[in-house]
Amino acid sequence: MTEIQIEPNSFEMVFFDAEKIVNLASEVAQKLGLGNEQIKLRIDETSSMGRSRVESYEPIILAADGGAFENTQRPRYLGETRTSETIARLLMRIIDRRSPEFANAPEDDLLDLPLRVAWDTYTAGRLNLLGLSTQMKRRQYQFRNRHGFSDAADEAFTYLWESPNELAWADIERISAGCRATLV
Amino acid sequence: MRKIFPAEELARDSRFVRQSNEDRMNDPRGARVGGSTGEKLSKLTPNLPNGPDRARALMHGIFVGEIQALEGAGRTCYDFETITDVPFAMKLDMARQCWDEARHCEISVALAEHMGTEIGEFAENTLLYQAACNPDPVLRLTGVNRALEGLAIDVFNTMKEFGSIAGDPVLEFCEDWMLADEVTHVKMGSDWLRELTLNDKERLTKALEFQKVVDRLFSFNGFRGEDDENPIQLTRRFRELAGFSDEEIDDIAQMSREAAAEIVH
Amino acid sequence: MAEVKRPREPFAPWDRRVLPGLFDVEETARRVGNYKWVETKLFETLGGWIATVPELDVKLRLGTHCYHHAWHAELFDKRLPELREMNPERLAIPPNENLVEFMKAMSEPEAPGLTIEKLVGAYRVLLPHKIAAYTYHRNGTSEVTDMPTIRMLDFVLQDEINDWREGEMLLKSIIETDEEIERATTHQDRLEKLMLASGGIAGRGSIGNAYIDITEEK
Repeated sequence: MTEIQIEPNSFEMVFFDAEKIVNLASEVAQKLGLGNEQIKLRIDETSSMGRSRVESYEPIILAADGGAFENTQRPRYLGETRTSETIARLLMRIIDRRSPEFANAPEDDLLDLPLRVAWDTYTAGRLNLLGLSTQMKRRQYQFRNRHGFSDAADEAFTYLWESPNELAWADIERISAGCRATLV
Repeated sequence: MRKIFPAEELARDSRFVRQSNEDRMNDPRGARVGGSTGEKLSKLTPNLPNGPDRARALMHGIFVGEIQALEGAGRTCYDFETITDVPFAMKLDMARQCWDEARHCEISVALAEHMGTEIGEFAENTLLYQAACNPDPVLRLTGVNRALEGLAIDVFNTMKEFGSIAGDPVLEFCEDWMLADEVTHVKMGSDWLRELTLNDKERLTKALEFQKVVDRLFSFNGFRGEDDENPIQLTRRFRELAGFSDEEIDDIAQMSREAAAEIVH
Repeated sequence: MAEVKRPREPFAPWDRRVLPGLFDVEETARRVGNYKWVETKLFETLGGWIATVPELDVKLRLGTHCYHHAWHAELFDKRLPELREMNPERLAIPPNENLVEFMKAMSEPEAPGLTIEKLVGAYRVLLPHKIAAYTYHRNGTSEVTDMPTIRMLDFVLQDEINDWREGEMLLKSIIETDEEIERATTHQDRLEKLMLASGGIAGRGSIGNAYIDITEEK
């Protein structure tokens, strides 16, 4: 049984429903096979920015700006799809780091932008297959910004997006470096 | 059809969701406060970790702004009697602006597709069109053509640089073309303001005051200015081409610094 | 030396332009003034409608077409002083009150659900009448004395036909039910009758008279 703790458990600056967030997080965790884990969510409701990160891998603590859970059509209101996607992406990062294929991946704070985006692309592609991620073109635009607006970058993106749980950190590094090598 | 069409009735399809000015202004979080870290927003460049996403959101804001600019220019064609209220030549300029803004909408739609943004993905605020509802055509010119289109010059120049740094040929190309048109629109505003208030200093004063009000609204939270922490950079060169004086540009920069100083962390 | 001075006809053999035209300067100016009034009213109406239509593609096309007709009004405005009318506003008037009634009725629809009526008025009634009047004028004008008006009308007609086509395609894509067809035809019916009463965008004789009067022998 997933145990989700949320901080704060009520909101003053935004109109988020803490119970709803807990339910969404629980559904995502179940889908990703983390159904027996304890997960803590820390939400900074004072920020409308969209940042999110894994604050701790063991125990699992996810931290996000309120903007990362926000409905972009109704500011200050919860965006359920966005919330699920954000949590899913962070949990998938945890799953990856637990696998030996990602043992050599640098700490989050040491990941440069291109590598972070390449890994996010691989993550989002897998989540897309599980129905937990949308906006492929948005991800592609982020990828292109870090790896170039080129056929090589687009091919690399497609490869990362369509690879279901097949890649190791070394593959992501190689693919990202390969694109950047073609940049003038 | 009525003269003066209210902003609340602007026709939209189901994808568009409106955010009221009150909701926007009353958001206690503010636009540039990085939450409990106190981190501020900075100049919008692709080097920012969330640069591409912020660019997407901004360009969607531009898109809905272009729709409203198109609607506003169209209403100015209709709302006033030719000759008695506005010169025929001014209406011709407004019709020309309709064509330009329609093209900008088309460019924005193509850009949204390129950036992975869906139409209506972000809430729409109708402040631009509200400025275009002013019953005095001269105030419409200052509010829309000088203040808001002036802001558009700043945004497009910033985004053109964004595209150049990112190596995004589509973004750079689109912003360059839209920027050229906006300089024309601002110049239209400057030229007609001068012409229509040649012998009416009171009307000129009122119009420039209205322009300042609109400029102040869009300096909200230091969104636009000349400092590195302003996401959108004030563009002196193109504003000069469009008929802004140094003094006017200095005023806008000062307004932005004052807006930034008002932020509560 | 003698070769250089060999005379040539002023009209080359393939230049079959003829002198006579249907309209003198005054009549041309009168019509052009009416055209300017109609184009002005049309571009004002199209501009006003932009904010009232929810369909994004219609909104954008109206913006583009607004400019087309404004440009036509500008061309006609510039032509008038060349036709000895130094005060263009004097002739930039409707041919009669019936056309004023027509324009009021055409620009009347405002609600967001009336896109069909708006497009019918402009693209199924007014533009075809303009195309008819401009074609008649263009074909009846002397290609020797008044090429400026012909050239202007050729440019204008190119826009009119393209805009009419785009407007008609938009209409065809919007109308999906029998009820919508009825709305379109009802509105067209009403406007056509108003236009008929006016005689056309330049009043009676906008497109000439195709009928032959036969006097009965007694």
